[in-house]
Amino acid sequence: MEATNPTAGWEKVGEHFYRKTQLYTAVFDQDLDLDNYIVAGALYGGAVAICRDETRIVTYRPNQSAKPSIDIYSCAGKLLKSIAWDKGSVKGLGWSEDEKLLVVSYDGTVRCYYDLQGEFTQFSLGREAEDFGVHSCRFYDHGMVALLTNNTLVSVSSYDEPRPKLLATPPEGEIHSWAIIPPSFTLSRSVEVLLSIGKTVYVVDATDCEDRFLDIGPFTHISTSPNGKFTALYATDGKAHVITSDFQDRLSEYDSRSQITPKYLQWCGNDAVVVAWEDEVNVVGPKSAVTSFVYEGRVHVIADHDGVRLLTNDVCDFVQRVPDVTDEVFRYGTESPASVLLDAVEQLENQSPKADDNIQLIRSNLVEAVDNCVTAAGHEFSVHWQKQLLKAASFGKSVLDIYNSDDFVDMCETLRVLNAVRYYEIGLPLSYEQYQRLTPEGLIQRLINRHEYLLALKVAGYLHLATDRIYVHWASAKVRTGAEDDSTICRMVVEKLAGKPGISFETIARAAYDEGRRRLATELLDHEPRAGRQVPLLLSMEEDEIALDKAIESGDSDLIFFVLLQLKKKLTLASFFRVINTRPAATALVESSAMLEGDNILLKDLYYQDDRRVDGAGVFIREALQQPDARTSGDKLALAAKLLSDSRENNFELIALKEAATLLRTQEALGRDLTDSFKGLSVNETLYKLIHLGYSNKAKRIQSEFKVPEKVAWWIRLRALVAKRDWNEIEEIAKSRKSPIGWEAGNARLAAIFIPKCTNLEPGAVITMYEKCGMRVKAAEEAVKARDADAWVRLLEVVGKNTSEGREIERLGTQVFNK
Amino acid sequence: MAPYVGFDTEHIRDKARKDLLHLLEGVRGKKNLVIERSLAGPVGVIVNVSTLHDYGVDKFFVLENANADTSQRNVVFMARGECARHAQAIADQIKRLQRESQTGHEFHIFWVPRRTLVSDRLLEEAGVLGDVNISELPIYFFPLERDVLSLELDDSFRDLYLFKDTTPAFLMAKALMGIQSKHGLFPRVVGKGDHAKRVAELLTRMRQEIIAGETTDEANQTGLTPSNSIESVVIIDREVDFVTPLLTQLTYEGLIDEVWGIQNNQTDVDSTIVGAPPQPPSQSASTTPNPSLASRKRKIQLDSSDKLYDGLRDTNFAIVGTLLNKVARRLQSDYESRHGSKTTAELKDFVQKLPSYQAEHQSLKIHTGLAEDIMKHTRTDQFSRLLEAQQNLAAGADPSSQHDAIEELIARDTSLAEVLRLLCIYSCVSGGIKSKDFDHFRRLVLEGYGYQHLTTLHNLEKLQLFLSRSSPMANMIPMPGAGPATGTKTNYTYLRKQLRLIVDEVNEHDPDDIAYVYSGYAPLSIRLVQCVLQKQYLFSITRSNVAGAGTVAGSGAQGWRGFDDVVKHARGPAFDDIQKGEDKAVKARALLSGGGDKKTVFVVFVGGITFTEIAALRFIAKKEEGNQLYSPLLFLFV
Repeated sequence: MEATNPTAGWEKVGEHFYRKTQLYTAVFDQDLDLDNYIVAGALYGGAVAICRDETRIVTYRPNQSAKPSIDIYSCAGKLLKSIAWDKGSVKGLGWSEDEKLLVVSYDGTVRCYYDLQGEFTQFSLGREAEDFGVHSCRFYDHGMVALLTNNTLVSVSSYDEPRPKLLATPPEGEIHSWAIIPPSFTLSRSVEVLLSIGKTVYVVDATDCEDRFLDIGPFTHISTSPNGKFTALYATDGKAHVITSDFQDRLSEYDSRSQITPKYLQWCGNDAVVVAWEDEVNVVGPKSAVTSFVYEGRVHVIADHDGVRLLTNDVCDFVQRVPDVTDEVFRYGTESPASVLLDAVEQLENQSPKADDNIQLIRSNLVEAVDNCVTAAGHEFSVHWQKQLLKAASFGKSVLDIYNSDDFVDMCETLRVLNAVRYYEIGLPLSYEQYQRLTPEGLIQRLINRHEYLLALKVAGYLHLATDRIYVHWASAKVRTGAEDDSTICRMVVEKLAGKPGISFETIARAAYDEGRRRLATELLDHEPRAGRQVPLLLSMEEDEIALDKAIESGDSDLIFFVLLQLKKKLTLASFFRVINTRPAATALVESSAMLEGDNILLKDLYYQDDRRVDGAGVFIREALQQPDARTSGDKLALAAKLLSDSRENNFELIALKEAATLLRTQEALGRDLTDSFKGLSVNETLYKLIHLGYSNKAKRIQSEFKVPEKVAWWIRLRALVAKRDWNEIEEIAKSRKSPIGWEAGNARLAAIFIPKCTNLEPGAVITMYEKCGMRVKAAEEAVKARDADAWVRLLEVVGKNTSEGREIERLGTQVFNK
Repeated sequence: MAPYVGFDTEHIRDKARKDLLHLLEGVRGKKNLVIERSLAGPVGVIVNVSTLHDYGVDKFFVLENANADTSQRNVVFMARGECARHAQAIADQIKRLQRESQTGHEFHIFWVPRRTLVSDRLLEEAGVLGDVNISELPIYFFPLERDVLSLELDDSFRDLYLFKDTTPAFLMAKALMGIQSKHGLFPRVVGKGDHAKRVAELLTRMRQEIIAGETTDEANQTGLTPSNSIESVVIIDREVDFVTPLLTQLTYEGLIDEVWGIQNNQTDVDSTIVGAPPQPPSQSASTTPNPSLASRKRKIQLDSSDKLYDGLRDTNFAIVGTLLNKVARRLQSDYESRHGSKTTAELKDFVQKLPSYQAEHQSLKIHTGLAEDIMKHTRTDQFSRLLEAQQNLAAGADPSSQHDAIEELIARDTSLAEVLRLLCIYSCVSGGIKSKDFDHFRRLVLEGYGYQHLTTLHNLEKLQLFLSRSSPMANMIPMPGAGPATGTKTNYTYLRKQLRLIVDEVNEHDPDDIAYVYSGYAPLSIRLVQCVLQKQYLFSITRSNVAGAGTVAGSGAQGWRGFDDVVKHARGPAFDDIQKGEDKAVKARALLSGGGDKKTVFVVFVGGITFTEIAALRFIAKKEEGNQLYSPLLFLFV
């Protein structure tokens, strides 16, 4: 390449230089009158979409088809795809950050073309948009805002899950122009819209609409800078203003002295604003410094992150602020270390000894010089100067003793990739900074979308990136368009992808299924290693049982539930049970969820067809518990009993159920007789309550009816009587019979009376019981009787020798223990 | 590669907190938070109420109460995504709010720990999917302590064993996978029991799926090489040892749990016991709808931030009184020391320490109150009867000798849970109950507590907790001398001897064996952990009862080696997998982090753990601190 001076296209705007780099020539067909088209370009040197501007009249050409279409071009003017458009007039045309094309029609239908190949998803902006129609749209990295003809604003914050939301209602009045601030730059973290109404600007977000009280409007153009900090306004009087986005500070003002409304007002990086008319482009910097470029024919301006692309029929130019390092190296008359180093390489090529002089000159700043040369090489579009700068860096670091060459190596790799994709047949004119933001993965995705598989693979291999996505995409495209028969394609794909890690056969299979090649899809799906991934596709292919098996295999209960939900809706109950019966994991989930949701009907059916009688009876028992009165719960219990009656194994349960029914009846009868509720009590509790209320005879009857063991009954009686404080009765029964349980559990004071009556007690227990009752003398007496010297001494100590009790105890003990 | 750091539960807490607050920040303005009941407690472990207020949360509602009001424009729902019911409940509430309210609402749902297909489908069917913003809050583990992480799934036991719903195992595997992807693969996975095996299998599967996934680029490689800050993971299925949780816990913390119950490091205690809270909590009025009810109960925070409690929690309750006494005396003398201080400097020193004394005083008051009340409980006749019967059964006394005691307890209306626990121990230890006795006990329970418990008993039967010997499931139980049928049921009779589960002489003051936590019974589950981690110790106490011992003991055997035969007698399969990565990567990793750091052992319990078991594990950890390269870290999973 001819070594033009690197500063050739530089123009000074204020303190900084701006450069215009010619990226491509002969972009569009000369027949295409750009004036009649709406042009939208994706970020980071992405594709350009054009569609006819319907407000303009075009000359009729017989050889051109009249069908409306949206054409997608690369920046170099290569037609990537022509999409037929049949949804009426286009009210919004824009790109997302990941190069999805968004087309909005008048009735609020949004189509998201996600792969540059015409595949799309579609959603609607909602009722409001249908009723009133869309006026215009603005797009940001992954969302958009639409302005309807009734001044309402609808925002969509994600294209993956589009949820059109109305923003706060702006005031009435004609909106002269509007712009948005992406949510990532706003304090509210919601998108904000700037509306020029009347003389002022309103800021609208999800909840509020605020007037900013300007008096210099109305504005024909509003634009926010890429970092969201500044806003440029172009007023009808031809003045452009730059203010901070919070409307606090007015930064600069520029009078264009033009009567004609410009076509574009865009930011060029964060420092300058580009104002473009038909064929003239002005770059306006701070303090009204300006430079202008003039073209032949209509210019379209496409804002990018660090500059603007200018598009005409003939050329595609990139205007950006000259990066600081580049400026430092190339600026005329500079003596920065980097520029000296660059000069040294030239001297070296000329075999001049000055090369060494130069090195000695910048010896102390050599590291910095090398670094700068490397970075500057990255920002350079011309291959010649890239090489030159890298040579300089290489020369510089050869002189250094220690230098970490990682950056140098990375830059070499990066530049190789950048140059490859900038090639006109690919047409991705990425600047270094754009590449950093796009990320290598993003670049690969763009290459895949352009079906540049070979280059994508090479780049991925070169940069050590994952290649699986490329293969999968290739295979998906193959099954979509391949003309061969199913088994050939399957073999081809599998052979090609065998041994490659991370291949998602599910994606490929889905592509095949979507294309209507069902058998191919099934065959491909068998190669998918992740069971879980297969499930949704299998379901949509109606391979229900396989889907269920795969879901169980994955162990993810969410998937299993998902399949079951689908199946239950689709199948009759009988066939649903047939499907799950052979799969215990599925049955368990159906059972547990039915249990938790109280779906008793399903449970009963499930247990019935599976012959699980006890479980079935359990459902009835639970239902019985919920019944309001005894009769209906009795019925339920009878049903439960009926279930169990057929088999002999469940004899115990059967008897228990019958008793339960009897108890219910008895309790009801008791309730009637005694005007007290016995509902919900167990047998023991019923006995207790009866005795407590003083109906011992009734209690006895129940005891015998339910065959309550004697011991248990005694305990209940005792507890009830103690609670009733009916000591007489206790004494009565104590006298009359020998208790099977002993008397330990009495009331403390009165218990003492019963202690002698206790049988089967160890002497030690008697002592402690007296002690518990507070009768220490009696306790001591027992201790003496039992010849328990330790207990006696302990008692004596507790009481104290000098009290009357103490003396008594001492008297009792001394004789026996000889102390 | 990022510098490699050891495992710290604080990271998990921080991450969870950040995730939650970030999501809350994303909802603009004030909002009402509607939270699932079972999540409210665990979330409280991560952030406190005032922080949530700072992030714009105005009012709290419990999802199950269905009482969210329309006072705020933003309504945030927070629920577990795994449960279909919650999706339905949320959909119903959204519809109700939309109906009731004149103004529009913004609805947000945070699914914990993940958004599920089923919930999406249910919301879609209810017709509200388009109206809500859905996000995921990927909190799997809730860090309860610096050494305890929990999934805090209240119903995991029921789901796993009764419903045979394996969701908890899946979530556990996911959660462990999260740790693996951050810290590297567990070099060794040892475990016992069906669900433990399932978790391990899921881990392998997930790992393969990750390999099959999009991780061919270098960045994610860390997740696929064995970690060198983690020694191994030991997964124990609750099913292996049902007896341990059935026994009454005898550590201080365990007894607090028995008496009042501990949830998310908190317990509700009547304020008459511990005294009223020191100052009226300012936020309580807004959080609890009924302050009069709340005032009677007092929430007590039980975690290691309370130094006194930290020292007490894992000790046997028998010595808690003495310890409290000691602390009280020390505190007294600390207070007294002000009389001794002469110079102003000394006085200043004292005053500076005063707040810490006061805090200690406060906590001393609480714990004395608690201990006294527990004492009241343990002194009762019923409690000692119960404990005696339990311990006799666990020690292998003839079960029929306990019949009277059990009968008496039922007749005296002891709480059903306690009676059933006792019956289950009986059944588990002796391999089922004779069918005549079985029917007798069932009868007693039904008559004593109501016939509806027919289903309760049936469920226990399904869980194989309470069985008749004649039932088909009991046949799988290997009876003493019935041949080497193994692996289907835990054989306590055999293991009691082989692993020395009963230790007669326990020194509660200065314990030398984990048996102190149950005053003489060493939890089988923890003995199994010891089989992996403390081989030598276990050999020494079992005195080479095990055939072929000794030889492997010293040689640094790993996994179950040396105890294979013993382990066969516990229920479920035992496994021991080694996860390897590429050799190159392993070496590089080892080089980068440098050896010599202590490695962590993860002990995972699937299906729940008791406080006593945690205490026992901590005891092991302390013992091993000195002489080994690793310090175990515990997980529970309730």
